[in-house]
Parts: sequence; C-alpha cells; structure tokens
Amino acid sequence: MDTKLRSFSRNPAVKTIAFVLFVLLIAAQVVSLQYLRFQGPNPESLFVAKYKDSSSFEGEVSRAIAFTRDILESKVVPKKYVEFLYYINDIDNTWTNVKDASREFFARNDTAFYAYDNGNWAAGENTNPAPVVNDYYNNYDAGLKQYYTIYIAFPQSYMEQKQAAWQKNSNRLKPYIIALAFGTVLELLLLAYLAAVAGRKRGDNELHTSGLDSVYTDLQIAFIILILVVWLRIISGVPNIWRVGQGPLSTAQIFSMAYFALVTAAASTAGGLLFLSLIRKLKARRFLKHSLLYQIGYFIYDLLKSLFDGRKFEKYPLTKSLFYRQLLFICSSFLLVLTTFLLIASGNNMAILPPLLEAGILYWFIKGNRKTFDEINKGFNESLEEQMKSERMKIALITNVSHDLKTPLTSIISYADLLSNEEGLTDTARDYVKILIDKSNRLKHTVSDLFDLAKSTSGNMPVEFEKIDLKKLVEQTLADMNSDIERSGLALRTKLPEASLNITADGKKLYRVFQNVLDNALKYSLQGTRVYVELENKNGTAVATVKNTAGYEMDFTVDEIMQRFSRGDKSRTTEGSGLGLSIAESFTQVCGGDFKVEIDGDLFKVTIRFKLAQNSIPAIA
Amino acid sequence: MDKAGILVVDDDREISNALEKLLLREGYSVSIACNGLEALDKVMTENIQLILLDIMMPKLDGLSATLKIREKKNIPIIILSAKSEDSDKILGLSMGADDYVTKPFNPQELMARVKSQLRRYMKFGDIGSAHSSSRICVGGLFLDTDAKQLTVDGEQIRLTAKEYRILELLMKNAGIVFSAEKIYEAVWNEAAYSVENTVMVHIRRIREKIEINPKEPNYLKVVWGIGYKIEKL
Repeated sequence: MDTKLRSFSRNPAVKTIAFVLFVLLIAAQVVSLQYLRFQGPNPESLFVAKYKDSSSFEGEVSRAIAFTRDILESKVVPKKYVEFLYYINDIDNTWTNVKDASREFFARNDTAFYAYDNGNWAAGENTNPAPVVNDYYNNYDAGLKQYYTIYIAFPQSYMEQKQAAWQKNSNRLKPYIIALAFGTVLELLLLAYLAAVAGRKRGDNELHTSGLDSVYTDLQIAFIILILVVWLRIISGVPNIWRVGQGPLSTAQIFSMAYFALVTAAASTAGGLLFLSLIRKLKARRFLKHSLLYQIGYFIYDLLKSLFDGRKFEKYPLTKSLFYRQLLFICSSFLLVLTTFLLIASGNNMAILPPLLEAGILYWFIKGNRKTFDEINKGFNESLEEQMKSERMKIALITNVSHDLKTPLTSIISYADLLSNEEGLTDTARDYVKILIDKSNRLKHTVSDLFDLAKSTSGNMPVEFEKIDLKKLVEQTLADMNSDIERSGLALRTKLPEASLNITADGKKLYRVFQNVLDNALKYSLQGTRVYVELENKNGTAVATVKNTAGYEMDFTVDEIMQRFSRGDKSRTTEGSGLGLSIAESFTQVCGGDFKVEIDGDLFKVTIRFKLAQNSIPAIA
Repeated sequence: MDKAGILVVDDDREISNALEKLLLREGYSVSIACNGLEALDKVMTENIQLILLDIMMPKLDGLSATLKIREKKNIPIIILSAKSEDSDKILGLSMGADDYVTKPFNPQELMARVKSQLRRYMKFGDIGSAHSSSRICVGGLFLDTDAKQLTVDGEQIRLTAKEYRILELLMKNAGIVFSAEKIYEAVWNEAAYSVENTVMVHIRRIREKIEINPKEPNYLKVVWGIGYKIEKL
C-alpha cells in the first residue's frame, strides 16, 4: 500500500496536475481579489465592526468639515443636499440646517457628533474622534478662528442605516474571505506536496535533477525576487478610479482581470518551477555549492591555494626549491611595489629604495632558477642515458640468450636425429627417441617465438613498411593454411569485400598475425562449429575479425589470455608455445594496427584494425 | 671424385661431431675446423668441395672467413648460424655464401641442402650454355623453354602444364612481383575473378617440388598482401 501510494505520488502526471492546480489557484485568487476591488463591498467592513469607526465614515466627516469651512470662507451656503446636520456661527452670521441649533440637540446624535468651540474640536461620547484629532484636520484648523462655533452631527437614523449596510457588506464578504483562505491553505499543501516529491521518480530512490537545476542557486533566487517585484508592480499599477463604481463590469475591467490572471499564472509558474528547483538542490545538498558566489569564491580559493600550496612538489626536491623561490619572489615583489606606491603617494624621497631592492631580488631569483634548471637538465640527461643503456643491454641480452639457447638445442636435435637412425635400438628406445625429437622441435619453435616476441615488444624488430592489400593478404593466408583448415574439420565462413583494402604494413609480419590468429581458432574451436573470417571497410579503417566457438569453457579474462605464455586450456596439453596471440598482438602494433580480443560466453573474437592508406594503388608490376 | 669432401667449421665440438656423423652417414668425407683461421688453412690444403660454416667463432668469424675463402675458391659455402634475422641472412649471402641455415636446424633439411649445393657445384660446367635464349637460370633452377623442362640443382622435376607456365612467367621476370590476377590472366588466359586460392594452391605445389623446405622457400616466395615472385639470385 505504501509503495503504491508512493508510486502514485511520484507519477509525473500527478505532479503536473498538482502544479497546474497550484498555478490556477493563485491566478483565481488574484482575479477574485481584483473583482472585489472593482465590484465588491468595501473590505474594511471585515475589520471594523462599526461604520462610525471606519475610514469611510472618516471621509464623510472630513467632507462635512470641508463643507463648513467653505461656508465660513465664502459666507454662502452651497446649494447642495447634505446628510448631516450643521450649525455654523462666526458671531456675525449663523448658518444651519436645523431649527433647534443648541449644542444639546446636536449632542443627542452621540454616535456622530463633532463640535468646534473655544478654538478646540470635541467629539461626542460615543463618537470616533479620529477625524478631528488627525493631523490633517488640525492643519486645516489653522484657518478657523477662536470665536467660530461649528456643530456637525449625522442623524441617528442615518447612522443606523449606514451601520446596517456596513453589516451587510461584511456578511457578503465573509464567503469570499473563507474561500480565499481555503485556497491559500490548499496552495500551501500543494506546494508542500510538490516540494516533497521534487526530484523523485517512480522506481528508485535516486534524486533526479532537471535542466533548470544547472542554473546557479543565487541566480535562481534573484529571478524569483525579480518575478515577485515585476508582478507586484503590475498588480499595483491599476488606476484607483476603477475601485469605485457599481453595477456590471466594464470591458476594460474584464480585460484587466484577464491580464491579471495571465500575468499571475506566468509569474507563479516561473516562480514555482524555480522554487522546486531550489528544493531539489536543497535535497541534493548542493544548494550552497551550486551558487555563483560559491563558485567564484571557490575559484579564487583554488587559485590562491594552487599558488601557495607546495605539496605537489614535495616528491621533486628540485622543482620544490623552484616553487618556493617563486613564491618568495612574488610575495616580496608585491610588497615592494606596494611600498613604492605608498611612498610615491606620500611624496617620500625614499621611493627609490624599493625598486633597487627589487632589482636585487630579481638577480637572486634568476640566478637561483638557472642553477635549478641546470640540475634538472643534468638529471634528465642522466636518466635518458640510463634508459639507453638498459635498452642496449636488453638487445644484447636477447641476442646472447638466443645464441646460448639455440646452440645446445642444435646439438640435441642433431643427436636425436642420429640416435633415431642408429641400428639395434629396442622399440622402447625408439619411442623415447621419437619423443625427444618431437619435444626438441617444439622447444625450437617456442624459443623462436619467444625471441620474436621479445624483439618486437622491445622495439628491436626491423619493420619493412610497404603498401599491401589486406584483402589479398587474408586470402593468401587462408590459401596457405588450406591444408591445416581441412585437417581441423572446421568449416570456414569468409566474408571479404569486393574491393581491395590497401594499408601500409609489413606483409610478412601481418601474415604471421593472421596465421597465428587462425591457428589459434583452429586449435581451440569446438568440433563441428564454424570459424568466421570477415574483413570490411569501416569509415576508412580496414577491420578484420576472426570469430570462433571455443571447445572448452573460457574461464579466463582477455587480459589473462593475452599474457605471455598463457594458453586457452590450462592443462597445457596441446601443441603450441602459448605465445601465438601475444606475437600477433605485438606484430600488429609494430605494423601500426590495433589488435583486440573479446570473449563473450563461448565466442572468441579477435579484431584487427588498420587505417587505410591514402593512395589506393598497390605496388604491383 | 666419388666422395665429396666437406669441411665443418664450428667452435662447438658437439655440433661439429654431430654434423660429421650426419655427413658420414650420407657418404661424404668430413674434416673439422674449430675456427676461421683453421678453416682457411684446411680449405687450402685439403680436398674440400663444400663448407658448413658457423658465424660466431673465435679468432676469425664466419663472415670474414667467407670473404677470405671467396678470394681463392668458389666452392659452395653454407652458413650455419644462430642469428636468424633477415638482415643476418642477407649479409651472409652477400658475403659470398651460397645458403644460410639457422640453428637449430633440421638435420634432414640440412643434408638436403648440402646435397643440392653439391649437385649444383658439380654440374657447374653445364651453366656455360645456360645463357642461350631457350634457357632461364635462377640459382639452382634451370628452365629449358624448348624442352619445357625444369631441373633443380641438376635434378629433373616433373611439372604440370599450369605449373610450368607459372614458373616460366615468374622466372622470366625474376625479382618482379605478380599479383594472383596477373598470373591467372597470363597462364589461364581467362578473366580473373577471385582466383587467389587457385593460384596459391599451384604456388604451393610448385614449392613442394622445387624447394628443399617449402615453408621457408629459397626461390618461389609469397609477397604477403601483394603477390608472388621468384627471387632473383
């Protein structure tokens, strides 16, 4: 059950749906907020229970005060209906819209009563004093004279009506608010889910990164901030006049909402993706490491470290001294240049001293380096000489050992032959002599193979390069080995190209290569199977392959079989020196080709590659 | 001159003794030298028809000895050496040796080579007429184009018509490499199409008839990856 849930939650389709849902929710929230802004009731009613305490009412009061002030200044009552009651007196004149203009009368409407007398503003017992204690209105007071009397009151019935509407507003708004809050919770849950499965896939516990993760962390954060700023600017850039107005939405408002939805969706998609990428990085513990700042810092650190870290020179005393001398030189030069500048800047005459000192250091630096380089050169020459000497010794060794092995072998073979022709030998003795002859001949071949190999691997084998046709060479080798092939009882399947494949190599050596490889295939193949010899031109390379099915279990690796003296069957009963493949490999390399052995189950495959020669006309008379 | 005298020169006593026994068994008379100087001495004083000469010897080495002997005599010299490089062989032959056998050698093969060299040497008088147009001569091979007959070191060899024509083509152009196609077109008079095997089979048969060791031919050689040729000797 657990794994089922996991597999479901990691399903890419589910993840995509969650992300789309997240984006749509945010867009819907923004659009509905916008709708409320255009159309809906004043949101203040949610936070302020009484209309008299609201800023809307403050506006009404300030308009009323402005109204009274206008009258005081112009001495004329504007022809305008007002909801409030007023009494204005500047000693000479009195303006009012009530009959009983006593303060008591006004004070009866105590939820909305404001009075100005004796140079001070006062508010009724249950009145919100904010409009008259506000700085804005106090500044405005500057124009009011001490002897003015102003009473302003909103009738109780008017206030009750307003309060009822206010309450209705609040009730109308509540479902929206709940919906918005619910949407926000849902968004957070979706985001939490997306963050939890970010970088996870079904079927494994690995953390998978995406292309976006290759962007540096700090750049991603900067992008997120940039997106937020741009989005906020667009959102807040809507003209205020749209806020007022009731009735059906205008076309401009609908367009604006659609625009908002698109912008918000785009912003939340981009922001969400970047956020999830950051989460993946956090999970992969490369949040910090994969930031541009860290990378730059590390680069500088690494540079400094490599400059001052002498550890890699530890094994080489000569370069070590070179390194420390260089370090000292750089540091002292830097300090000297710095002091020179400082001295020049301060107008000190001593500025001439550091350059002189620097010249001395330079002299010491160059002299020390030259000595070290001399030592290095000497060591290099010595090791080169040593190498040449050992090379010469190797050649001498091969020649001498070859002679010392061949000479006694000559005697053995000769006397074995003489013995075999001796008359009066018993049958048993004759058998023994036969074995002697067989084994000494085998020894002869092994010794010869061994020296061929030693010479070719030590680079002491003369190679005669000429332009040859690899196809012809393979055909010749197959024809030459015809009797061996027939004797083996194995079928040969050849696939050769129509055209010739000209390469530059030593024909005699290459014949040995193919002879040995085929010999190997004939010797170790399962009876009744086929040996495949193929040759083809692969993009300017001649590729020859010899494949056969082993007649025994090949419980060894390619490296093991290519090691000198190793033989396919570990019992070492069959004829052969075990050097065939090694010789083939070495000869191929000497000729400039590539020799590769592959083992796949019972399949034994040898691939020989040669670059085709540029000019394809072989040298034939 | 019923018994040919053969000089065996080798600093290894066992080898020269074995060679002596082998040669005696073949019916030659044998004398032995241990170094080049001794060999020079014996060549001058004894009746010697062929020399088996080692290269690495004290006092005077085989190659120098060959040069010195060649100043006086043109008897066949077969070099016996542990040095098996092609360059060693070429050096030995260019010093005037007639054959080069590497140690360890197959006794039977060596005897065959001795016999062949001797035969060629004894019949040397016949070579005088070899320069006529109807005779082609390469080393010990004599091809009589009139009689369509081949002799190797004086011994007649039977060849089939195709074998003869291949050999004639290659001997007339000794030293030149022919591809299988060229040989086929010249001998079979047909267009050549995948004939490598056919030609190679014939080449092998010819080698078995004219070479002492077909695996290491002296005359008819495969130039791997190119074609076939008769070595110019």
